[in-house]
Amino acid sequence: MKRDFIKRLKSMLKVDFMRMFTMPAVYIMFGVSLALPVLILVMTSFVGGEATGETAATFTNVWQAIGSAGGAMSMDLTSMCNINLLYFLVAIFVCLFVGEDFRSGYVKNLFTVRAQKTDYVLSKTIVLFVAATGMFLLYFVGAMIGGGIAGLSFDLAEVGASAGGIVACMISKIFFALVFVSIALTLSTVGKAKLWLSILGSLAAGMLLFTMIPMMTPLNAGAFNVVLCVFGGPLFAAGLGAVSNVILNKTGLV
Amino acid sequence: MNAIEIGNLTKTFGEKRAVDGLSMTVPEGAIYGFIGENGSGKSTTEKLICGLLQPSGGEIKLWGKDHKNQDVRAKIGVLIEAPGCFPNYTVWNNMKLQAANLGLKNANEEIRRVLHLVRMDGAASNKFKNCSLGMKQRIGIAFALLGNPQLLVLDEPINGLDADGMRIMREILTDLSKRGTTVLISSHLLGELEKIATHYGILRGGKMLKEMTAEELNADCPTYVALKTDDAETAREVLERAFGRAEIDGQTGEIRVYNANAEEVAKYLYGNFGIAVSEIRTAKISLEEYYINLMGEGKK
Repeated sequence: MKRDFIKRLKSMLKVDFMRMFTMPAVYIMFGVSLALPVLILVMTSFVGGEATGETAATFTNVWQAIGSAGGAMSMDLTSMCNINLLYFLVAIFVCLFVGEDFRSGYVKNLFTVRAQKTDYVLSKTIVLFVAATGMFLLYFVGAMIGGGIAGLSFDLAEVGASAGGIVACMISKIFFALVFVSIALTLSTVGKAKLWLSILGSLAAGMLLFTMIPMMTPLNAGAFNVVLCVFGGPLFAAGLGAVSNVILNKTGLV
Repeated sequence: MNAIEIGNLTKTFGEKRAVDGLSMTVPEGAIYGFIGENGSGKSTTEKLICGLLQPSGGEIKLWGKDHKNQDVRAKIGVLIEAPGCFPNYTVWNNMKLQAANLGLKNANEEIRRVLHLVRMDGAASNKFKNCSLGMKQRIGIAFALLGNPQLLVLDEPINGLDADGMRIMREILTDLSKRGTTVLISSHLLGELEKIATHYGILRGGKMLKEMTAEELNADCPTYVALKTDDAETAREVLERAFGRAEIDGQTGEIRVYNANAEEVAKYLYGNFGIAVSEIRTAKISLEEYYINLMGEGKK
């Protein structure tokens, strides 16, 4: 039974990875994740320096593109236009990826044979988490490139962070993405072929959670934040995964 | 053993009862023609059998086991409406995905086999979105055939096929049936269905109106002599008196004399009444005609 489950999950994962990496949307998302911080940092430093002469509201330090120390969220550019924007991109990608299964009728092939809804939800969560991880890492790389081009400071102490804190922050952010992945996945199982419904629902849910992100994943994150996200993210995903499973089992698939 | 046994199946969508206490039995190895008007519940029933919709009531058993059982599900091949393929993928890649879903070890070999079976060997590298409707239907059949299923559930698979495509489809299904595969096939092309089906189920308003074997249908469909004369009405009257049942086909203007011999009818008309027959042939009530009559009776 257990071996059968592993076998099924392995083939489902193989299919989902194969699908994801042959999907243009994933490369667009990766490209956007890499280009977004470069554009934000370069453009805002130009506008801040040339047009207004003020830099306080814009980026002065490259690490501001990753987050803020202390986890406070303000309504300025650095809080609104940092790595946390990626959670919305992740949610949209989840909806595109899962919605395509329903729109193409692929779920008919999948669920009439041996695939189980649990395998489907689990496999999608894992694959989309991998995609989200890629997006966050690319954003990080993009922020370094953008910061270099814009001539921003790389001083960690200036923003109240440390190297360890940055690593912990990134780990926390990546695992926190599981929350968004599972929300978008659940809403996609509700919306099915109605892509607009799942995207709008996911974005709305994202807006509600947006203020929580800096608190959970501050720039000077510590062991507590890492533990909270590394265990909390998967737990949350497992809970919502069970809900997705019930939705798939109780509702029609076509 | 029966491949499919359905008892008192119900499916409601809001207030509408798409399937209403349906019961049916499909014996193993049969080609079961599923017939009914649009909206009679054929596709819904097929989706329920495949687990794509959840029943509101009743039970579905496949080889005696609940239809949700993993072991029996692994034996099903399905083509419901259109094949579920990603439009930007090639036919081959779409099939590779399904082969991986099925956990096939010899995937490449199996894909080549089924594509060859539906005469689509040359289309493997085509993007699915660039395939014609007929090609897509054949690819859908190839999908359903992956992994050698023991039960095929096909919803309107002949639609969009040209004459050659229909012939190929007939050959494939007949061959599969001979090898013990059970086929449940719905179609509006009754003439095509009549050539292959061994069993029939006629649906109306979500209910089973009639379930029968091809032999029973044959017995229910009498042969008749169809003829044309200059004075159809007079000829009909005298033939009815002599042979019991004669009627004029409103569409063709032919006189139909049931349970009679063509030569005997022609001789009788000319010898006794001097009525010359311009055309005469022996024919049989087709499934289509039988179905239309049955539906007409139901409406009355």
